[in-house]
Amino acid sequence: MRQALTWKLLAREWRSGELGILLMALVLAVSVVVGVSSFVTRLQSALLSESARFLAADMVVVSRAPIPELWVSRAEAMTLRPTGVVGFPSMAVADIDHMALVSIKAVSSGYPLRGELRWSEEPYGEVRPGGEIPGQGEVWLAPRLFALLDVNLGDDIIIGEQPLVITGSVRGEPDATTAVFGFGPRLLMNTADIPATGVIQPGSRVEYRLLLGGDANSVAEFSEWVTPLLGQGQRLDSVEGAQPSIGETLDRAQGFLLLAGSLAVVLAAAAITLASRRFGERHTQYVAILKSLGAQSREISRLYGRSLFWIGVMGTIAGCILGWVLQEAFITLLGAMLPVDPGAAGSKPALIGAVTAAVCLVFFAWPPLRRLGEASPLRVLRADLGVADAQRKRDFFIGGLAIVGLMWWYSGSAVVTGAVIAGLFVVMGLGFIAASVLLSGGRSVGGFAGSIWRVALAGLQRRGRANALQMVIFAMAIMLMLLLSVVRTSLIGQWQAQLPVSAPNHFLLNLAPEERLTLEDFFSDNDVHSETLYPMTRGRVMSVNDSPLPKWEEVMEDGSPRQREANFTWSDPLPDGNELLEGEWWPADTEEGLVSIEEDFARDIGAGVGDRLTLLIGADPLEVTVQSVRSVDWQSMRPNFFMVFPRKVLEAFPGMYMTSFRLLPEQKPLLNQLVRALPTVTVIELDIVIREMRAVVDQVARALELVLGVILMAGGLVLISGVRSSLDGRLRESALLRAVGARRGLVLGALWIEFLVLGGLAGLLAGVGAEVAAWGLQTQVFSMSWTPTPLMWALGPVLGALIVGGLGVWSCRRVVNVPPVVILREV
Amino acid sequence: MIKVNQLLKTVPTADGDLTILRGVDLSIAAGASAAIVGASGSGKSTLLGLLAGMDVASAGEVWLDGVCLSALGEDERARLRAEKVGFVFQSFQLLPALTARENVMLPLELAGVRDARQIAEQFLAEVGLQERLDHYPTTLSGGEQQRVAIARAFAREPAVLFADEPTGNLDTRTGERIIDLLFELNARASTTLVLVTHDERLAERCDQRFSMTAGELSRS
Repeated sequence: MRQALTWKLLAREWRSGELGILLMALVLAVSVVVGVSSFVTRLQSALLSESARFLAADMVVVSRAPIPELWVSRAEAMTLRPTGVVGFPSMAVADIDHMALVSIKAVSSGYPLRGELRWSEEPYGEVRPGGEIPGQGEVWLAPRLFALLDVNLGDDIIIGEQPLVITGSVRGEPDATTAVFGFGPRLLMNTADIPATGVIQPGSRVEYRLLLGGDANSVAEFSEWVTPLLGQGQRLDSVEGAQPSIGETLDRAQGFLLLAGSLAVVLAAAAITLASRRFGERHTQYVAILKSLGAQSREISRLYGRSLFWIGVMGTIAGCILGWVLQEAFITLLGAMLPVDPGAAGSKPALIGAVTAAVCLVFFAWPPLRRLGEASPLRVLRADLGVADAQRKRDFFIGGLAIVGLMWWYSGSAVVTGAVIAGLFVVMGLGFIAASVLLSGGRSVGGFAGSIWRVALAGLQRRGRANALQMVIFAMAIMLMLLLSVVRTSLIGQWQAQLPVSAPNHFLLNLAPEERLTLEDFFSDNDVHSETLYPMTRGRVMSVNDSPLPKWEEVMEDGSPRQREANFTWSDPLPDGNELLEGEWWPADTEEGLVSIEEDFARDIGAGVGDRLTLLIGADPLEVTVQSVRSVDWQSMRPNFFMVFPRKVLEAFPGMYMTSFRLLPEQKPLLNQLVRALPTVTVIELDIVIREMRAVVDQVARALELVLGVILMAGGLVLISGVRSSLDGRLRESALLRAVGARRGLVLGALWIEFLVLGGLAGLLAGVGAEVAAWGLQTQVFSMSWTPTPLMWALGPVLGALIVGGLGVWSCRRVVNVPPVVILREV
Repeated sequence: MIKVNQLLKTVPTADGDLTILRGVDLSIAAGASAAIVGASGSGKSTLLGLLAGMDVASAGEVWLDGVCLSALGEDERARLRAEKVGFVFQSFQLLPALTARENVMLPLELAGVRDARQIAEQFLAEVGLQERLDHYPTTLSGGEQQRVAIARAFAREPAVLFADEPTGNLDTRTGERIIDLLFELNARASTTLVLVTHDERLAERCDQRFSMTAGELSRS
């Protein structure tokens, strides 16, 4: 066939709209992959910036000695923005009767580089927006310092030798959890005042922090440059380690988004397979005519090869554009929720889209088209000649391998890929078995059933092979949709459970035993909900089974046992939110020297149930035996302890009390009264942090919903393609039934039954496959506990039957609305 | 023009090999017309497929215009069809995505003929469809579709024209007109015509008549 003729035929194919179906499937595949992939990339960068708030920078150099000037100039040369922070404990003196040990943080202009420094004029007053720091000669105090030092706004306090004027109250630092300088309440000042105070002397406990902000490449470049220069007492803090709980949320969200993208790849392959099968089937006769007129096999192959190439080019370009529009729409939808500009997605999503298109076309679209060249010209004489099996096992095998590779590349996780593939294998294996058993069994049942059932079940069995494939594809699409819904629901559920609205949002430490009553009265008078008061004593584990543990700094190897200092408490019942992993809890009022230890702590000191520990509390030794090992929910916002003792064992040692309580926003001024009533207690305000964490979780949850929506749309389109792929045969048979006088009700009823059975079976398989994949993902990828989802087992068949049934009958509705002769002529 | 020696065709089935053609011998001179008649399932269409090189015989030889088809590969047989063979089918076999003109142009284009468009228009005019050039097959009646198929078959000026039940899907009057047209064009182009039919009246208009019964061919 001459080149020009190939083009002409190609143009005529376009006009007929048949190639358009394949192109549509490809555009859908590429746009979903590119859209989700770009969105994930941009969201990741936004979320990373979001987590940078907890560091107040993109990276921080921490040092016990002043940061070398060279490092700062080097950072500037690498287009990074630097700002310095100096932290140290010191005494703040208001007058001879009022002084307190404070944790001083001196900041310079530009601080914070990420996030917001919140402050108010009055302690616990209305929070002001960020953008300012204390000016030279000024200080901002933590709210409770006002009561402790008995000072007011505008008063002077003295740090070292320098009086500084109080101009505000510090309410929220982005890096409050990562930049801790001692236990005292915070005092924020300007670095320019440090020399005048004279408090930093050789040997002082000072932490110098160089905060750096800039793009990821510059940060990575500086990190690479500075790492070899880091000496003793110097380290680099990066965003990833800034806030473990947020980090975990982001990790899981990222895992989910990548999973969603991988599923988009599978759905894309399924949509293209279905579309090209239909294209191949519809073109067998076309090719037979061409061959009867003298067209040669290789010319036919060249014609369709070239068609596919141009479909690939156009589909990839159109898919990339549409994908870009899609992710732009996502970002716009999220809009105000995103705290920072999400940045550009780069070219990787387009590359992933192009490779996905190439893999789908070569392995899934090309085989049925290549086989068209083998179609017998004899079909023009004998229409009853079967159509060559469009896809062979080898094609599916190679294509399957390519898809696994693509998913792996896309998700960057063997476990994600493995879990999804395992689920799909279950669906496919069970699908083909169920299809052959149930569909052939259906015929014998149908033989005794009414005529609608007989027609429907005979139809199911006659197209048994095609139905099995169709059912498996339906099941895969439904499985992927169910899987994503289940994972999303449990992820969001877990996040919300971590931060319940009723969770305590303030910690109170250092409460003397004789002050307990005052506190309890204060809480009950003001209607404040609080957790149990826990006694707290600080102690150190010195040896396990009489073998002394090395000191922390003497241990070079990660994970080897070492001395640990911790807060000890006593409790006769097992504290709320704790779970016994090994051993038993002690009976109330026991006087035995027992202890229950937290699992990670047990690992750190290298001890287990039955081991004997020697402890040091103050100067007093204490011998105890490990009675149990516990897991603790550290994110519960309740007081949690590494070591819990029976009351009578620890009671004799001096200690203070701690608790956590919840204040509503309107109760916030109560804190002033509380610290005036109990000036020695330390109150840690977590409400702002919790609010921020909840905002992040809400944002991420919303993003997941959007991505889920897109995947559901893609899955829906696969279902539509699946239904369409078998439409011709069904239309022909239904038209024939009508031609021989079948009532509209019988034809419609038979179609309903056929599609409902297919959809119901597919949904059942999908439920099983989704459960297998969900187990793998939740336990191996998301570090969550797995619980079976019975709802999915029930919902799968119902949803499958309704969606496939509805789509199927809707697609075939013409058969009862249009004269049968018209349909017979068309198909 | 066509010579067949001891042609045998068997196809495998679940119950063993099924013999469709049993040692068929046939000879048709260039420019002659021949009819093969027989009941449904007697093997007429199978023989036609073998004569046109669309299928391969289990044994025996088919010679078409001096070329032994059994010695050719599939692509060579396709090339031979493009050069020398025209077809008219019972179910017309027009490509639904192409207009009447494009359907007629297609074999010309496949054979690399330059002025395919003019030739197609000329032949469509000869079959009385000059007003329907840009119509798609679904908008044409059965008789019109078959006329397009005849124009397509003759446009290439084939050495041999095979017609498989050309009136099978048409009413009697339309069928008669189509047959008149077929013989008229055939006479004008001196094409060898091989007709498969079970219409005795149609068969009688041919120079030679063969009867096919259970895979065996006899002269009638």
